[in-house]
Amino acid sequence: MKRRNQAIAVTLVGCMTAAALFAGCGGKENTGKTEIEIVQYKPEAAKYFDELEEEFNATHDDIHLTIDSPNDASTILRTRFIREDYPDIIGIGGDINYSYYVDAGILADVSDYEGLKDIKSAYLDIEEALEIVPTEGTYAVPYVANAAGILYNRDLFEEHGWKIPNTWEELMTLCEDIKSEGILPFYFGFKDTWTCLAPWNSMAVDLAPSDVCKQVNRGETTFSKEYEEVSEKYLELLNYGPEDPFAYGYNDACTAFANGQSAMYPIGSYAVPQILSVNPEMNIDSFVMPAGDTAEQNTLNSGVDLHFCVTEDSPNKEAAYEVLDFLLEDENIQKYIDDQNAIPCKEGEFELAPMLDGMNTFIEEGNMTDFQDHYYPSEMAVDAQIQTFLINKDVDAFLQKFDKDWQRYNRDTIRKVQEYEENHGENQ
Amino acid sequence: MKAKTEHGTNWTVTILLILGLITIVFPLYMTIVIAFKQPSEMTNSIAGILSLPKSWSLSNFKEAMEVTDFWNSLKNSLLITGVTVVLSIVIHSLMGYAIGRNKAHSKFYSFVYLFIVSGMFVPFAILMMPLAKQTAEMGLGNWVGVILLYVVFYMPMNVLLYSGYLTNIPMALEEAARVDGASTWRTYWKVIFPIMKPMHATVAVITALAVWNDVMTPLVIMSGTGQNTLPLAQLNFQTQFGTNYNLAFASYLLALIPIVIFYIVCQKQILNGVVNGAVK
Amino acid sequence: MRKINERKRTYLLITIPILALFICFNTVPLIRGFIYSFTNFKGFGDYDWVGLRNYVDLFSDPRVGSSYWFTFRLAVVSTIVTNVISLILALGLNSKIKAKSFFRGAYFIPNVLGALVVGYIFNYFFTYILPELGKMMGSGALSSSMLSNTKTAWIAIVVVCAWQAIAMNTIIYISGLQTVPEDVYEAGSLDGATGWKKFKHLTFPLIVPFFTINMVLCIKNFLMVFDQIMALTKGGPAQSTESISYLIYNNGMSGGQFGFQSANAVIFFIVIVLISATQMTISARKEEQL
Repeated sequence: MKRRNQAIAVTLVGCMTAAALFAGCGGKENTGKTEIEIVQYKPEAAKYFDELEEEFNATHDDIHLTIDSPNDASTILRTRFIREDYPDIIGIGGDINYSYYVDAGILADVSDYEGLKDIKSAYLDIEEALEIVPTEGTYAVPYVANAAGILYNRDLFEEHGWKIPNTWEELMTLCEDIKSEGILPFYFGFKDTWTCLAPWNSMAVDLAPSDVCKQVNRGETTFSKEYEEVSEKYLELLNYGPEDPFAYGYNDACTAFANGQSAMYPIGSYAVPQILSVNPEMNIDSFVMPAGDTAEQNTLNSGVDLHFCVTEDSPNKEAAYEVLDFLLEDENIQKYIDDQNAIPCKEGEFELAPMLDGMNTFIEEGNMTDFQDHYYPSEMAVDAQIQTFLINKDVDAFLQKFDKDWQRYNRDTIRKVQEYEENHGENQ
Repeated sequence: MKAKTEHGTNWTVTILLILGLITIVFPLYMTIVIAFKQPSEMTNSIAGILSLPKSWSLSNFKEAMEVTDFWNSLKNSLLITGVTVVLSIVIHSLMGYAIGRNKAHSKFYSFVYLFIVSGMFVPFAILMMPLAKQTAEMGLGNWVGVILLYVVFYMPMNVLLYSGYLTNIPMALEEAARVDGASTWRTYWKVIFPIMKPMHATVAVITALAVWNDVMTPLVIMSGTGQNTLPLAQLNFQTQFGTNYNLAFASYLLALIPIVIFYIVCQKQILNGVVNGAVK
Repeated sequence: MRKINERKRTYLLITIPILALFICFNTVPLIRGFIYSFTNFKGFGDYDWVGLRNYVDLFSDPRVGSSYWFTFRLAVVSTIVTNVISLILALGLNSKIKAKSFFRGAYFIPNVLGALVVGYIFNYFFTYILPELGKMMGSGALSSSMLSNTKTAWIAIVVVCAWQAIAMNTIIYISGLQTVPEDVYEAGSLDGATGWKKFKHLTFPLIVPFFTINMVLCIKNFLMVFDQIMALTKGGPAQSTESISYLIYNNGMSGGQFGFQSANAVIFFIVIVLISATQMTISARKEEQL
């Protein structure tokens, strides 16, 4: 009797554990179709991707597609990578995370993908430049780009006869004019630290070399030297913002701008859908941040906002390519750029949103420079450092810390770059 | 102090306590009022924010339920909390029993006791990253894993409670059962387990409250699975709310209601349980 | 003899699987975390052994330093605020008042609510309502959001932490006060002890054990503060409210500093153990004296 009871108890515990493990492993139904899972990092485009997912599944019998658009996807992706649980395709931005993923060998070489031929070469170059050390192969299919500069309230501008500035001086005069009319020139949402980067990037492309981070990694220059002007001009910008810009977040700032509380909002084109959701009637246009002293210095701050990468781990590369083909169909891209106010990376006739009118010449000329923060390691939290700087207003302290932190956070990267230079330097 | 206060009601204190209640009631009132309003009713003035809504429409709640997948999150929260509580009572009381009856005369058990109880000092922060990896390797990156982790995390505290409680239960009770020929295992379930009922209530209350409100464990273990617990859903859908604070507050209120109902129904047990847990 | 063997076997059969479970999800990850702390692991890809570099960096990293400073300041101030208020509240709730159980029940509500949601509600309060109130009262300091200022953001977090913790501590103090027998007071009032004196010399010494419990509970919980930070500030403004747990989560899980933050977690663990050990020795000594 006793023995049996104990045996029962042991079996019970065993069963419980087994049940737990089964519940953990099970749950996935096998439908005989190839499963393709995409995780993409733009929650604001969730609706678009939901529709696309539905359409794809309705028209394809052999592949079942799931697209996840979680909030805070970069954390979720990192967590999943930590767990070695890779989706088939990831949709992320062309930034340092991408560089790390290429370096870690998580992404598959897609240079054999046919669709790459239709992608504008400027964007493929941007992707190439993001690789920490030049790596054989192509690891991303650029989908859409964004542009950052200054959004402005077209109606307000026309009403008062304000003109688009082409130099820093003109911008400052414009701000004074706007202020004298009793209108707030800029709105900021600096409570969300990342928004501090938007004006920073669009000024830095005008004022600092485009490959400043790589130059620093090679030990050729310092940020104290290259970013001094950007920092000083940023502080001037702050004078024309709301009284306490650190009290409000991105959503609050979008709402305020949409309600006409400010004439301009220095942010990326990606903010337009959010603004229009508050005030669908609003007449928005944009212009390139004129941070330089001459108009020639200006360049459009534009980078790859969303590209798709196939993971090395994905067992279904062919099916993944088929999904990519579908995503890259002209009408789907057009739908995306209408929806999100984005710039297509694919060659072809696309109709750009009217909010990009002011930037159109730059886009057509290809006068574009990638976001500088795409090279900043995320753990260095440059956005928060800029926020600190905007609160303390101490340029020297900020830049010194920037230089010091850069060396520390990029130690492994710098070592890698230098090793690469030593091995490959002579050949070039 | 006036002599009056020695007998009868102390009205000064009563009134002060009523005033003090404002600090509790105000945030809750604010939540309810905002949750029922429409964005157009929200003006920038205090009166605009805090006045009663024009109509008590449930449309915000309906929308919030859709946005946050409320019923699914609620189901997950209930499931995780329920299973954790049951497993905790069974497993931790057994462990407390084995330890409580042996640690006085056995080096092994007093070592096991110290080993487990010292787990109380391990902050989740240090376990979080390795656990994210480990649970995934074991195929436990889901609610099952979360439950197992809770059973482990609350083990130190609960074993401490149970083994402490056991010292008050005389051995004679067990001996009597044993004389009748019952096995130790049987004796435990027939005699000891029922006697520890007050402790079960305490453990259930403490574990349930902690599990229900915990964010970090599901955040680290379950993120990306598409499954949420109620608090986790608030975190994950924060951007979907945008500046529609009315929708957000409707969702917050929905997340608070289950635990408030539970509290109103079992107030006495909860207060007792919490005090017992802390004081023992 | 057989009986004893049967008993021993049962105990072992209970202990071993449960102990295995505990080791699997507590001890093993603890050791793995310790191992990762010697690498430059990002959380994915391959990694190198870097020896003690992470630990050396920890002590020269101002961000880690300021997160410790913030967390300790928060813990100490919140603990003091919470204990003072809840002791007063407990004395009030224990005196002769109307609707005693209603008040006790009502004052405990904050404790059952989830910290994250409470944080979100207070976030709105601090951003929109308090500044308006400040303007109405003509107070310049309050007319801008407390959360946007590096000097005041941590105070807002103290308020939210205390709001919830007071409920718990009050209940514990009340149960302490109930152990004080009536005749102690009667004896006291014969000696003419009143008010503050009565509290200091009669009541407080009797509830010292409960005071100790509250201190231990408070410090430990506040040192691990996470939800409130997540809901109120996400570490801002200017990284001034990054708690240790938040920094480890944020940079370790999503920021690519898996190895480095593992080292931070190891140090944090040691700090917690040291504090708990000190607290226990002190309270043990105090109880001996009494």
